[in-house]
Amino acid sequence: MRIIVATLLLTGIVLPTLSAAKAADRFAVPQDVQAVLAQRCIDCHGDDSAEGDVRLDGMDQLGLAARLDLLNKAQEQLFLGQMPPGDEEQPTAAERARLAEWVSQELHKNNASKLEGKLQKPEFGNYVNHEQLFSGEFKDLPGFTYDRRWLISEYIFSAKFQQMLQGRSTARRNKRNVPVFGSNRFNQLSLTNPFLLPTRSGVRYYANTDLTGGHLSSMLTNAQKTSEHVTDYLVKRNAKYLPAITAIMALEDKHNATLASRRQFLEYFIAQLCDEFYGSENEALLPKFIPVTLKEVETLEEGETYKKAPFHVAQNMLKGLEGENTVYQSLLNPEHENKSDEEFQALCERIWFYFGDHERKIQGRMTILRDYMPEIRDNLDKNRRKFRLIVYKPLGDDEMKVIQASIRKHRNNGEHYAAIIDKCMAEWEQEFAQQQIQAGPPADELLSELVDQLSVQILERSPDAAEADEYLALSKSYVKKLGNLKGIQKLIQTFILSSEFAYRQEFGSGEADEHGRRMLSPRDSSYAIAYALTDQSPDAELVQAVESGRLKTKDDYKREVNRILKKREVYYLVDPILADKNYQDNTTDTAIRKLRFFREFFGYPKALTIFKDEKRFGGDRLGNATNRLINEADRLVEHILENDQNVFEELLTTEKFYVYHDGDNERMQAASDRIKRIYEYFKEHDWQNFDYEELGKHKEFLREVKMRSINPDKLESGNRSGSGLRLFNKSMTSITARLDKGQKEAAPFDMYRGYGSDFMPGENVSKFFNYPLTNWDYATVQPAKVPNRKGFLTHPAWLIAHAQNTETDPVIRGKWIREKLLAGTIPDVPITVDAVIPEDHHKSLRDRLASATEVEYCWKCHKHMNPLGYAFEAYDDFGRFRLQESLESPENLVKKNPDEAPDRNHLLELRDVYKTVPVDATGYLKDTGDDSLDGEIRDAIDLAERLGKSRRVRQSIIRHAFRYFMGRNENLSDSSTLIDAEQAYVDTNGSFDAVIVSLLTSDSFIYRKAIED
Amino acid sequence: MLSRKDFLKTSALGAGAMALAPSFNQLFAAPNSTGVPKRFIFIRKSSGIRPVEIALRDFSDSDKARDEKKQPVEVDLDKHELPKWLRGLDVHKEHMTILQGLSAKMSENVHWSFSSVMGCFKSNRNTLSAIKRTTIDFELAKLFPSPFGHVELSFAGGRTGIVAGYSAPAPQTRNYCYADPEAAQNELFKSVLNPEAVNSDNDMLSFLQSREGLQVSGIKGHEKKRQETHIDSIEAIRERNKKLIKISGTLAKHLPELAPVHANGGQNASTPEKQAAMTDVLIAALKAGLTNVVTYTIDDLGTPITGLPGNETDRVGIHPLGHDEAFGGVPAWKTREQIRISHVNQINTIIENLKQVPEGKGTMFDNTMIMYFPENGETHHGIGSESPFLIMAGNNCNLDMSGRYVRLPFLGNEGHKTLGNWYTTLLNAHGNSMEHYGDLDLEMSRKKLPQTGSIKQLMG
Repeated sequence: MRIIVATLLLTGIVLPTLSAAKAADRFAVPQDVQAVLAQRCIDCHGDDSAEGDVRLDGMDQLGLAARLDLLNKAQEQLFLGQMPPGDEEQPTAAERARLAEWVSQELHKNNASKLEGKLQKPEFGNYVNHEQLFSGEFKDLPGFTYDRRWLISEYIFSAKFQQMLQGRSTARRNKRNVPVFGSNRFNQLSLTNPFLLPTRSGVRYYANTDLTGGHLSSMLTNAQKTSEHVTDYLVKRNAKYLPAITAIMALEDKHNATLASRRQFLEYFIAQLCDEFYGSENEALLPKFIPVTLKEVETLEEGETYKKAPFHVAQNMLKGLEGENTVYQSLLNPEHENKSDEEFQALCERIWFYFGDHERKIQGRMTILRDYMPEIRDNLDKNRRKFRLIVYKPLGDDEMKVIQASIRKHRNNGEHYAAIIDKCMAEWEQEFAQQQIQAGPPADELLSELVDQLSVQILERSPDAAEADEYLALSKSYVKKLGNLKGIQKLIQTFILSSEFAYRQEFGSGEADEHGRRMLSPRDSSYAIAYALTDQSPDAELVQAVESGRLKTKDDYKREVNRILKKREVYYLVDPILADKNYQDNTTDTAIRKLRFFREFFGYPKALTIFKDEKRFGGDRLGNATNRLINEADRLVEHILENDQNVFEELLTTEKFYVYHDGDNERMQAASDRIKRIYEYFKEHDWQNFDYEELGKHKEFLREVKMRSINPDKLESGNRSGSGLRLFNKSMTSITARLDKGQKEAAPFDMYRGYGSDFMPGENVSKFFNYPLTNWDYATVQPAKVPNRKGFLTHPAWLIAHAQNTETDPVIRGKWIREKLLAGTIPDVPITVDAVIPEDHHKSLRDRLASATEVEYCWKCHKHMNPLGYAFEAYDDFGRFRLQESLESPENLVKKNPDEAPDRNHLLELRDVYKTVPVDATGYLKDTGDDSLDGEIRDAIDLAERLGKSRRVRQSIIRHAFRYFMGRNENLSDSSTLIDAEQAYVDTNGSFDAVIVSLLTSDSFIYRKAIED
Repeated sequence: MLSRKDFLKTSALGAGAMALAPSFNQLFAAPNSTGVPKRFIFIRKSSGIRPVEIALRDFSDSDKARDEKKQPVEVDLDKHELPKWLRGLDVHKEHMTILQGLSAKMSENVHWSFSSVMGCFKSNRNTLSAIKRTTIDFELAKLFPSPFGHVELSFAGGRTGIVAGYSAPAPQTRNYCYADPEAAQNELFKSVLNPEAVNSDNDMLSFLQSREGLQVSGIKGHEKKRQETHIDSIEAIRERNKKLIKISGTLAKHLPELAPVHANGGQNASTPEKQAAMTDVLIAALKAGLTNVVTYTIDDLGTPITGLPGNETDRVGIHPLGHDEAFGGVPAWKTREQIRISHVNQINTIIENLKQVPEGKGTMFDNTMIMYFPENGETHHGIGSESPFLIMAGNNCNLDMSGRYVRLPFLGNEGHKTLGNWYTTLLNAHGNSMEHYGDLDLEMSRKKLPQTGSIKQLMG
């Protein structure tokens, strides 16, 4: 508890000590408190009024749960200074303190205070007084963080397993395949990530989460699957990976390889071998051939139609039935090349029967042969290069002797070949098992090596002597009970399940200074730095720095942080969701956690989860467009971070955006030029009325420019969307619309949907920015100015992420600004509030919202949000700029457009047209704590300009950066850290790198204090 | 800080976690979970159910017209003949509800819905991060806890063993499923079939517990409590494993007998054999009390089908059949009908078996709901305007619906109901008062029509 009390004190919160809470068990309101309540509170919260359904006059009549709930509400209101309301007469400081003390005592008696718990959470970070933090008054308090373990994040989980499983991911960047970190795909393994972070905007990853049974149980499964993958696959693929396993399993592996080789050989050639061994007697030894019965094809009833499944379906089925090999090998065999279909089918059936395949399998294969023989022969002719005849080649002499002896030993009259193979295999397996028993358990030295290698691989350190002994004993016990393979797997699982794997360690070491602080141990600091900037464990240089004693001073930290920030040889996936969807350009070579800070701070990736209506969007493939939008928002952040000048101001006020652009200006220019070239070439022709002959006259040009899905030499071919002529026409319609209104540049790619692999999905992203596909003067060089936008808060990704499914949300948008940019606080929604905006199909959303929230009880909170959020009413819930708001209700329908584009014409606008009302995007800033900010707002652009200039906004972002990199809320002892970070930003002309360096070399980051009970 | 008791409530552990069911690790303790539990069986089928296929053939002219025009209809089933493929359930007609008119546009449609049909969100194909919420089956499992919490069985893709499933125990979390009868039996009844595996897991847990315990002495405050919770978590798993070994004798009585053809994944078993064996395991798990909620993906577009009447010696594909491409000379519609009949046979077997088991004043079936529905809407290429449900419910069902054909108003009309409304109905009727489950329908939103909450006419 002392840690919490200490934190509260450092946040400037005055709470009584626990000893003061030892009051009588029976509830009674002390007289002095009663007096304060009567004078300051009961008028509004008494019998007659009970505003907000809160009554403070009958607490002794309430049950315990209801009373504690009431006291918790009171404590929060008092703490926030929101009660009594500003326009009421205020209690004296002494009265307020007494009331707060008593409320706190009552809650502590029942261990029920929610405020203290809340204060640890990121969403309550702003409760610490902003002015005090930056005033300098507390600058001399020594900064520190308590010793702690920090649960790994979902990203670190992925990185750890990728590393353990030797995962390799690549992406296409700058015309080459580059390895990337950050994939959440684990080879063929389906692992469950139990460390998922909350989806809120702002800082998501905090050090106050505990490992629970839920995490543990998922990890049990993950550990089991991983251990099997390691032993069954990884060590076999790479002999240098955990060589102790290879050594321990050497004999088993050798035996298994021999067994596999013998089985494969026999499955291919046992018929041939037996012919060889038994000569003419072989046939007599085989079982009597019994053909399978096939269901006869019945005559169709009158009027019934029948469409045979296409050959590729049958082909896959033959493969699934494991019949493909026999069929094609037999067809390739010159002995059978003149056989009729019937003879060939009979041959295959006999092969399968004598081998001993299951009757049902043979039936399935024979049905396919019956129904698809011409197609099978045709397939072989067309793809002869793909098939190769497997020629009999005996194994070594010794092996052949063993096999021959075993066959002769086990073969009985009338047996299928498979039965002989099974008996041979059983004999050999038994023989090998005996040899393995005779070889005895692995030597202790080998097991010790295994322990050491697993510890290094999984925990990234060697075990100390005691641990090594302990794990050696454990591994011997596992091997004895479970055998070598299962024993090794169990040992791997044990390492993965240790708490050290799931928690990052951050403990001080060495001598404590005069404030009781110790520096992070060098090893822990290497992880703290690595995980602050990336999701990966310390890189080679950091490890080297620890080993050589060069991670002990602030200068050492500074050197390493700067090095990682400047490092550009590593790529990271920005968003695994987009990676899943093959957005190859969603990667960055910026230290990923630097970019991720702004992703999470702005919270724009949430736009991916807001389910929206394509009809209201006005076009198809909304999902692709949204993916592209997020991708381009990432690109914009990356671009601003790369310049690293006035980063906050740029993010808040830039007028330049990426729209359907992958960041490669050269590539986009080339793609655009190609479209222009096609347009210029055909524009004088009557291409709309081309027939094949006319189009054929332009083959040379078509060959050169490669129009999508048009093969100049087979113009009739095309694809399932139509013939070559039709596709040409569609492409030209799209290309022409891009350039026939005087546009200077053309958006890249045919039909917007590209050619081959060189294209980008998501062309409809332009619609979010009010660019119609039919008249878009594309900017090939981006980021480029977009009208009616200023800064990230006018980026459609942010606007969608902070909107509802079908409407804007001024409350959420206003709350975001109040909390994220103005370091303000908004209390939780009272449970008595039913937060519903009334329906009225004749009013704007703003008017409807005002009618619900601008009543006195609601307004005391909403006044801090609505006037800010209203400014964004100039954008709809898709982030499109507007002057008029559509009243989207059937009774207001003016024009109904098609629900789906006829002929898949994606150039058409599908949105229905409704009556509109003018948008009112005015608002105001008030009580921001920055006088230069307060005042009327014209619209979102005006708001962005003012926010971009505000020092308070700068400080607020730095406070969030502190939380992000420290994993906790700031308190007054971090005042110096925050002031220094701001100064670093100012001194470097707005470098965010400078802020990071300042934070990661601060006392708050470097120094640790021991936790007290 | 969680106490050990809390851990048992919050942990995602099945009673057989690790040792018994490494993949089925969701156990939720519910408040007031005394008395006879309710059971829910979700049977997912692929390639749609066409509304006309499940409509009654002998409607009155006016009902027929209303049904075809997608206008509300409600008739008693006992006065009507069921469509041919449903007749295997004739004797259980009083327990049957045919629910038409639900829409499923908020889930994924076309060929596949993955997790989304049971979660009412768009699953972005099968993207993990798109799993927005706990699926309805796991929500119900929270209300009726059991040792395994929830069991997922699946023939999707013709796979075998333990593989990724479609249900979601939590957002961005994919469940695992048993993909062949033998794997299901081995895992669900592991304490009977392979007690050594359980014991070896407990050896490991014991080691971990002692090692983590050593660390407690060196730490204080919050970290110490964290560590104690960790140790308690391990201990809880160990205790459960021990308990399951202890009751393995009782479990053994319910152990289903599987024919040899199901060994090693059952590559040579026909579809009716596979379905029958999986159904046996499902029934055994319910009777043994291992779970109260089962999700059974009886097929998907990749499930190979063999041995159906009419196509006895063929292997047929559900995807080609959906495109009217046929096998063995049998028109596609006939094979599709046989597939549905094979499903109905399983439903019938479950009902018959559960009716044999006394429970309370009735039988186990009285406390069971079986829901059979398409994963992707109304056709092979579903668009989600309709998502027919066949529901078989015992006498103690909390909903008022049995013995009826109910067609609800069509999408976009006043009174229309979505999958979200249906799942909300299930939750509200069984103790979860959630206001609305799942994403909203955007056409209903666009038309400003009310669409949240349960389906009042079905609430008991």
